[in-house]
Amino acid sequence: MIEGRKILGSVGLGILAVFVIVAVLAPYIAPYNPHQMSRPMEHPSSRHLLGTNDIGNDILSEIIYGTRVSLFIAFVVSAISMLVGTSLGLIAGYFDKLGFVIMRVVDIFLTIPRLPLIIVIAASMRPSIWNLIAIFLIFGWTMTARIIRSEVLTLRSRYYIDATKMIGGSDCYILWRHILPNVIPLVVVQFIMEAIHVIFTEAGLSFLGLGDPVARSWGMVLHYAFECPIIYVSDVWMWWMLPPGLCIVLTVLGLTFVGYALEETLDPKLKSPAYGRGL
Amino acid sequence: MTLLEISDLKTHFPTQSGIVRAVDTIDLSIRERETFGLIGETGCGKTVLGLTLMRLLHPTTTVEGTIRYRGKNLLTISEAEMRLIRGEEIAMILQNPTTSLNPVMRVGEQIAEAIRLHQGLRRRAAKEKAVEMLDSVRIPAASRRANEYPHEFSGGMKQRAMIAMGLACDPALIIADEPTKGLDVTIKAQITELIKETAKEKAMLLITHDLGVARALCDRIALMYAGELVEYAATEEIFENPLHPYTRGFLGSLPGNGLVPIPGMSPSLIDLPDGCRFHPRCSHAKAVCRKKHPELIEVEAGHFVRCFDA
Amino acid sequence: MHQINKLVYYFAILLIILSINFFLPRVMPGDPLSYLSDPGADMPARMTEEKRELLLEYYGLDKPISEQYISYMVGIIHGDLGWSIYYGAPVLEVILGRLKWTLLLVGTSTAIHVPLGILLGATSAWARGKKKDTGLLISILSISSFPSFFLGILLVIFFGIKLDLFPINGAQTAFATYSSPFGKIFDILHHLVLPATTLVISHIGGTYLLMRNSMLGVLGEDYIMTARAKGLSEQYILHRHALMNALLPIVTMTAMTVGFLIMGTIFVETVFAYPGIGNLLYNAVLYRDYPLLQGIFLFMTIAIVGANFIADTIYVRLDPRVKNE
Repeated sequence: MIEGRKILGSVGLGILAVFVIVAVLAPYIAPYNPHQMSRPMEHPSSRHLLGTNDIGNDILSEIIYGTRVSLFIAFVVSAISMLVGTSLGLIAGYFDKLGFVIMRVVDIFLTIPRLPLIIVIAASMRPSIWNLIAIFLIFGWTMTARIIRSEVLTLRSRYYIDATKMIGGSDCYILWRHILPNVIPLVVVQFIMEAIHVIFTEAGLSFLGLGDPVARSWGMVLHYAFECPIIYVSDVWMWWMLPPGLCIVLTVLGLTFVGYALEETLDPKLKSPAYGRGL
Repeated sequence: MTLLEISDLKTHFPTQSGIVRAVDTIDLSIRERETFGLIGETGCGKTVLGLTLMRLLHPTTTVEGTIRYRGKNLLTISEAEMRLIRGEEIAMILQNPTTSLNPVMRVGEQIAEAIRLHQGLRRRAAKEKAVEMLDSVRIPAASRRANEYPHEFSGGMKQRAMIAMGLACDPALIIADEPTKGLDVTIKAQITELIKETAKEKAMLLITHDLGVARALCDRIALMYAGELVEYAATEEIFENPLHPYTRGFLGSLPGNGLVPIPGMSPSLIDLPDGCRFHPRCSHAKAVCRKKHPELIEVEAGHFVRCFDA
Repeated sequence: MHQINKLVYYFAILLIILSINFFLPRVMPGDPLSYLSDPGADMPARMTEEKRELLLEYYGLDKPISEQYISYMVGIIHGDLGWSIYYGAPVLEVILGRLKWTLLLVGTSTAIHVPLGILLGATSAWARGKKKDTGLLISILSISSFPSFFLGILLVIFFGIKLDLFPINGAQTAFATYSSPFGKIFDILHHLVLPATTLVISHIGGTYLLMRNSMLGVLGEDYIMTARAKGLSEQYILHRHALMNALLPIVTMTAMTVGFLIMGTIFVETVFAYPGIGNLLYNAVLYRDYPLLQGIFLFMTIAIVGANFIADTIYVRLDPRVKNE
């Protein structure tokens, strides 16, 4: 099982690596500029490997540039969320009064359903990548703050932190030197969870037509395909819907596998010999 | 009459950091109606020995040797046969009653289910028997208490309920794992008294690190250290004439004898010291103790010691 | 005491959501009316003078903000969620007209995916580390990687168009006349199959993973060892000891699942043009019908928060430890 986990993790990393390379090298890989127009609704051919869409953009190029947009949003949102969530979690876990206030705010954020509110806000703003990122950040930090806080509470009760305090370590020093290194693995897992969440939500919002119409993500490509009245009539879906959809699936799958491999190696309960000893 | 005979028993289980040799070549036998005390520090493998006898360990555990109960080798019979022995022939009272009772099942039902299974009683009759059992371990208002959940019981009452559960099907042998751990002095005395009464009729393997309790209850006592037995004899003999330095150290740590702890810590069962396993903590250790592993030898009739000095 | 605290907490949440709903149109650049007739929308709502008047009256922009807030709250209490621009009817009326289809869809999916998720999760945990467990885990992680709208589209293509087994559009055949009530029921169920399947598949992962984790935790507990020490059979221990304990966290989760399902209907109803609230939300977005959009947001939020409250209440009744505190 442990070996199996490693294999899954490697498969996941491999998938992600391919997408990251595509995103970074998009201008070199893509055969056309995604906004360049030629004849609309062309079927796949040697000139357009995945055909063209209703306004004549090359679909393959659209998807390659879409990789950039989707991954960029996911990465930026997850990175900033982790930074904010981890800082607030550390503070909340270490300083009791401040922690109480922060956790009440987190409770409220976690009870309000994310998606409907995000849709309402997104619908009342000009659709753009930066606005989407801002909206995702409203909620992105909350779960991480809660998880990091409870981990800090556990770590704090361990003796070595008290001991450091007695020999005069400042609060900042203790947080930085002793607590932060211990929560980093958790932060990594949370980063992956958040990235999955953002990829899904961004694709969903775009599918509803709330994504950036200029810098089109995978979800936006799907939106325009879905809006096209003849999408089901011929085999157009095979090159216009299937590829961007599968890109979303593969990215999420890659992240899931990596997250799963990490999570189970990090869980100390699963390592102990007594775990499930009767079975 | 020998009831249970363990010979050459080894229980090893694999972990990520190496193989844990929790039980490493143990021979001992328990007679009918005898109370046998197994004593040692936390982590010496005594609980694993109990679980090995019940065959309750993870399937990746390797168990070698023989456990002969009334002529049957418990290590070779089928799982179905073993299930008939568990609870009915050999019952185990696990340590820590707070986590060992199912929190969402009524206490009476937890006793009754074993009775229904092994004695084929109907639900109603089994329930009555369960109330009787609770009454016999002196839980007041037993018929009302039987309908309560474990969290409504005090620590001492939970332990009584665990004992009632063990006794429910009238087993021939009871393995009691630390039945007095974590109880305050008066409750401990009551539970000790209760076990003493029940042990009159049955054979018992009492696993404990409490020598006082062992002295009050046991006919014979064995001391376990780092997976093996280091000394065993009749109870009085152990207290009057302890031969192994570990036994002496253990006795010295009793409140009446000055509370002197044994220096050092018991070794990891993954990385055992060469030679005598106790030598790093032994004040009498000689050159030979570091190199050669001592055998268990019979110094007097029924008194066995694993030490070059004996 | 616990219950009263919870009630206060949920009331506070409700107040916050209402306030968000109140302030959102008012803090957006420009006044709510210009934002309501957003030229950036795909199909801006055409405003007649009459509608403009209605909206002006609804928002009461000429009054001080505190008075607007109070009259908004009073309106909410009386069930006044505003006026839908696109449908030209009160928002509440529009929502209630769609409610039964969403309830049917969410109800059917919950009734299937919760028991199925529990069953698969328990099976997986019981076979921990064996091929069966690994296979189930990887399969379910894989199907959970499909966004629900993409999954819906695939089902439409294969089962709706290629195989032509199920209708792909709406909740019943348009303009159909039925010879018997069974004909009508059959038609509705026939239309329900694909959307409900999409919801079940895309939401089963959560229940499965939670059940598996919960069960793995329970199987490592001491009382499971006690049960085995009594000589009880594995089947009996699974049903009588492990399942009940492992199910406790699932109860809370199920309410959250209902919340996720309600959100999931936004995509699934859109793909299948299923006439429920999710599809209504899509139309509200498409036509930038903001009063309707905000009404639906409020409605969904209250439904989800309400489901959480019910779950909390049920949990307290199920777990004997909490009951007696």
